[in-house]
Amino acid sequence: MESLKLPKDILMGALKVTLTGSHEAWIENYRGILEYTECQILLQGKTCQVCFEGSRLSIDYYTNEDMKISGCIACVRYL
Amino acid sequence: MIELLKYLKGYLRIRVWGFSPERFMNLCSNRGILLWDIRREGDVYYMCINLKGFWALRPIVRKTGTRVAVLERYGLPFFLPGLMKRKVFVAGLFLAVFFWFWSSRYVWSIELNGNYQITRDVFDSFLEDCHVMIGMEKEDLDIEELEKKIRRQFPQITWASAKLTGTRLAIDIKENDTPVIPEREEKQEGMDLVSEYAGTVVSMIVRSGVPAVAIGDAVEEGSILVEGKIPIYNDDATLREYHYVTADADIILEHRVAFQETLPFDYIKKVYTGREKKKVYLRLGSRQLRLPQDRPYLVYDSLIRESAPLLFQKLSIPAALGTYTYREYQNVECRYTREEAKEALNEKLILFLTSLKEKGVQIIEKNVKIDINGDGWVLSGEFLVREPVGKSAATEISDIGETQENGQ
Repeated sequence: MESLKLPKDILMGALKVTLTGSHEAWIENYRGILEYTECQILLQGKTCQVCFEGSRLSIDYYTNEDMKISGCIACVRYL
Repeated sequence: MIELLKYLKGYLRIRVWGFSPERFMNLCSNRGILLWDIRREGDVYYMCINLKGFWALRPIVRKTGTRVAVLERYGLPFFLPGLMKRKVFVAGLFLAVFFWFWSSRYVWSIELNGNYQITRDVFDSFLEDCHVMIGMEKEDLDIEELEKKIRRQFPQITWASAKLTGTRLAIDIKENDTPVIPEREEKQEGMDLVSEYAGTVVSMIVRSGVPAVAIGDAVEEGSILVEGKIPIYNDDATLREYHYVTADADIILEHRVAFQETLPFDYIKKVYTGREKKKVYLRLGSRQLRLPQDRPYLVYDSLIRESAPLLFQKLSIPAALGTYTYREYQNVECRYTREEAKEALNEKLILFLTSLKEKGVQIIEKNVKIDINGDGWVLSGEFLVREPVGKSAATEISDIGETQENGQ
């Protein structure tokens, strides 16, 4: 797998989270949203779940490939 | 760019509530329906959805047990039908676009650059003869032919270029700025150089011909300075024939020039009374639109000031606004004081001296005085000047046979 130099996130089906400061996050490779409130967003990945906690959270856009979360992110937890 | 595409396709702001809004969102994304600006307020979700996606929502709504309500509609598909109801507005819009296309088929301004000797008026009348004028159709304009015509009509134009940018015809010309040298007539008979004035020769350089005077000689007006016939002698010093040439020489003659200028005691001066009237007019092309005007004052002059708004100039619209200012004045008789008379006469003297200098005249001595005679002020001056002279005149042909006889 190493020698093929293929992106790991696709092969392993891992979630890819890109954080810019504490106000923006881009997420790829997810299955869907499990829960969305103002202070918590729970996403389902292929192998695990990820939970964004904070305040005034909102989803800027949401497609099949990626999504963007903005707001005041306090914590990112893998469950 | 994305915003513009969203606007063109149309989108909605919707409210989603019910059993499982999260599942609603997941299903939307699975079916490729874009959602954005998702916000939760209490149990209700607000989000934006494009129009196409909205029509595909029904099965998703049924599946997830949610309810959807449209809050606001954005974009062109919602704006256009409203616009279509306003028929006059749409008609105006189309008319404006049509007028824009239609008017761009004509030439609306003609610009001329690089003319120094040829005046604008002369050029305009030439263009009119060529049927090139403001308001003509662009199709009728043959630029290459026009350039040829310009060069043919005005021989002093060495280079001409016409260019049509938008509705503006720009003509650039270049005039021949080297002076036109008049061709000297080469004559078989030969030419003498004669003096235009009476005076003393101070310098003489002869290039061709036989000098008839020497430096220091006093000459009369019309007397020959350089002869155009060169005598050719036989071995025995007798004259065989004359060889005729065009005499050419630089001769400087010292002579006296008198100058007199008079100035009457009185003159008429314009004194403005300060009363003014302004009239506004509108110019469209060559037509002037203004209100009829009576004679505003008994004695007046008028000042015309015209300006076209910058937008009109840029769009080459031949319209301009202008004002006539009529200013009343009185003719007041005034008498020159000594100082004023001196100044006015001096100005005339300077003009005279400048004209002398332009002819290459050198002033050696000058004697100027201002006097009063019966009619007014008189400035009289006498100048000793050195001036290049020499005027061509036909050489008197001598009969060789006779000359030979005389020689023998």
